[in-house]
Amino acid sequence: MTTSPPRVTRAFLFAAALLVVAEMVARWGFASSVEGRFEYGFHPTAGFVESPAGRVQLVRSGGRRFFPQDYPLQRPPGTFRIFVLGDSVPRGTSVDQSYGGRLGALLRSRGTAVEVWNLCVPGYGVRRVQTTLKQALHYSPSLVVLHLNNSNEYEDEREFRRSQEFASWHPKNWLMKSFLFRRLYEAKTEQLTWKLLPESVRARQGVNDADAEIAASMSPTTLRQWEERVSEETRRSVSLCAAQAVPMVLVTQATLSGPMGSRSLHDAGLAALAQSLTNREVSEVSMLETFRETDVANLYADANHLKPPGHQRMADALLRVIDAKELLESRSARHEKSFPLKP
Amino acid sequence: MSFVTWPYPFFLAGVVATYWALPLKGRWWLLLLSSYGFYAAWDPRFLALLLSSTAIDYFCGRALVDERRPFRHVLVATTLPALWLVICRFIHSTFPSLTGLPQIESSMILVAAMLPILFLPTYQWLWKWTTSKRRQAFLVVSVGSNLGALGFFKYFNFFADSLRQLFHATGNSAQWDLPSIVLPVAISFYTFQSISYAVDIARGQAQPAREFVLFAAYLAFFPQLIAGPIERVGRFLPQFETARTWTREHLHQGLLLLLMGWFKKVFVADNCALLANHVFDPKTPIDASWAILGALAFTFQIYGDFSGYTDLARGSARLLGIELSSNFRFPYSAQGPSDFWQRWHRTLSSWFRDYLYIPLGGNRCSVSRQLVNLWIVMLLAGLWHGANWNFLLWGGYHAALLTLYRVSPPLLRFENTRSFWGGWAATLLMFLLTVLGWVLFRCTSLAQLGHWFGAFGGATNPIDAAVRRPALWLVLHVAPLLVLQWATRRDQDERSNAHWPWPMRGLAYVALALLLVASSSQDQEFLYFQF
Repeated sequence: MTTSPPRVTRAFLFAAALLVVAEMVARWGFASSVEGRFEYGFHPTAGFVESPAGRVQLVRSGGRRFFPQDYPLQRPPGTFRIFVLGDSVPRGTSVDQSYGGRLGALLRSRGTAVEVWNLCVPGYGVRRVQTTLKQALHYSPSLVVLHLNNSNEYEDEREFRRSQEFASWHPKNWLMKSFLFRRLYEAKTEQLTWKLLPESVRARQGVNDADAEIAASMSPTTLRQWEERVSEETRRSVSLCAAQAVPMVLVTQATLSGPMGSRSLHDAGLAALAQSLTNREVSEVSMLETFRETDVANLYADANHLKPPGHQRMADALLRVIDAKELLESRSARHEKSFPLKP
Repeated sequence: MSFVTWPYPFFLAGVVATYWALPLKGRWWLLLLSSYGFYAAWDPRFLALLLSSTAIDYFCGRALVDERRPFRHVLVATTLPALWLVICRFIHSTFPSLTGLPQIESSMILVAAMLPILFLPTYQWLWKWTTSKRRQAFLVVSVGSNLGALGFFKYFNFFADSLRQLFHATGNSAQWDLPSIVLPVAISFYTFQSISYAVDIARGQAQPAREFVLFAAYLAFFPQLIAGPIERVGRFLPQFETARTWTREHLHQGLLLLLMGWFKKVFVADNCALLANHVFDPKTPIDASWAILGALAFTFQIYGDFSGYTDLARGSARLLGIELSSNFRFPYSAQGPSDFWQRWHRTLSSWFRDYLYIPLGGNRCSVSRQLVNLWIVMLLAGLWHGANWNFLLWGGYHAALLTLYRVSPPLLRFENTRSFWGGWAATLLMFLLTVLGWVLFRCTSLAQLGHWFGAFGGATNPIDAAVRRPALWLVLHVAPLLVLQWATRRDQDERSNAHWPWPMRGLAYVALALLLVASSSQDQEFLYFQF
């Protein structure tokens, strides 16, 4: 090397300055909310943006891909607030098309003032749904509709591990505290590692890998652990709502399986779990029961997801339960007694 | 402690900061203690072996220039290995769960205690000999002890197993129960450096280290202790002996080499390793396109791994003001086997040339004798990499290539062609031959070798998506290296970017940093550490 030291210094300084500027731009320029960006849905408040104007916006942020929605922070007087939580099945293709949105339309059509918040995120298992629920309970729901599905536990587990991978302040994680570096690492993992490497190579690496988790889902032991987790976390979610005297409806997922032409529905024991939790404040709507004796081919888009007629049937079923158990009335009456709504 | 684990940057920063604040002798002590700490982090037991080699070679080195050291000095120095093992044993027995130290058996201490018992009388006795005979004898003691340690620790299992298999093959029973010898890290490297030290002094090409601590720091210098470069005393020792002053150039060049080394290791080698390990796993079903992909992946893995290690070693040393030899000069651009060996692991190639090939007669003898010498050197160079038949086969393969190019005038002309297209063709041919050589190197068993070559027996579809995607993975992880090499082809050193405008250099540093950080979670060990 014949170059003089100052010239080299300039290049190093330029490189360092570029990295710092890029980090600042990424952090404050483009990322709408860096908070929770690498917690993949396990951050308590990601996706809920409270504005000084007294509104709460639901945004896609921190691994919490809500449909964009905007509601008043305080529940308007005389308005019922229904929260629908779950995965891609209750999420639907849009807020209005989902069974939650359709339920809201049904209620409004008969003169009930209601907000239906679609708090569903694709791929969410019980743990991330519960994290969302904890934050949602700050917004005074009148009713929580919790969609139970046990097919997302591998994804929850994988995302939990990813969220923990560089979480500590151990020196080996220091570089990954940079948003820029972490985002690049994440992009490489998702865009290159998961897409270009053979499945067996990824499984051998065993970290951050959907296929490795799917492989794990073939293990009876793992499946049993996941079942136990679904049961425990659902009970905990029910307790959370009960603690705030919020009535719940547990919707149990039914999945299509079997060869084409003779496909049938099953619910992997979720209805039994929901039934064990039902009481005066907790009701159950079973997809299996709702769709019994109907042509499910017209209701399902694939093994899990519903077509618009499926969503409509679910909305109808929910409305029947709400009416039958007077869930909104009981909630309203209780609030009127203990916490009279102010205009 | 490996260069790619998180404690290393902190360790290095601590050593560098302290080093420049100390006077010359303080620096020797610092380098010695930090190097021993670095080495002991692998396995503290084998520090006794390094201490033994240090003691023998130091006193032999001084004796080679007719300087007799006091008896007590020799006694203390040769007792150090046993003393170290006793300390380790004491710590192990006192804090068994705290330290994680391996068990120190009594037999190991006894063997270490044999050093003063054997060496001291020999040392005293040899001083009674005539000068020339005494010098020869001390040279034999130094070289012999190093080769003996290397042979025992590295090849005992290999020869014992081979002998057992031979007995079985001939229908005899071979039920003897031999201990399994654990290979000490770095033994191939520091024994070769010790041998060159003694030989260069005996040849009058260098002066021995003045002080024991200086020599100990020289031999155990942590940046190059584990996997080289194998340095020569005449070039390396004076850098320790003189009080070097701090310049910004040390910092800049050191950091640049570290960046280059981490990039090659973490980004290129470790990512290529994912594919290479997959393909060379006998349990993986592969076809011809997979086999080729795996061979190419290993070709770039081993380059990225070893040259990355060398850059990290050079960068670490440079931060301490010490320049290590360059071990690589774009080996995959070689036009022939002879050219390849002047570009690949150059310090090992020159070691074998200077201490084996030339003493055997070199090029001063008949062609047939030259070829015999060549085969001896290449087979031993292969075996140096490890006690396994695949390394012997790899050495033989390169000996065959060298022979072929040497006895065939058209190939010789091809290797030395100056024409543009001829040069490209020669490079391409040598690259393909090199890749095939790496297959022999990588396959540690006949089953693996059969698995790889067997892949060419079936039908294959090279545009199959199952291969195309990992091929893209390989291209993505090799292309930045090739671009870097193309941009620095003038000096054939990836860090030689002085002729670039400074903004371009800055952008290159940013790109390298981003690429290597994006691949930061694999923690794969360096390949050459096993040698």
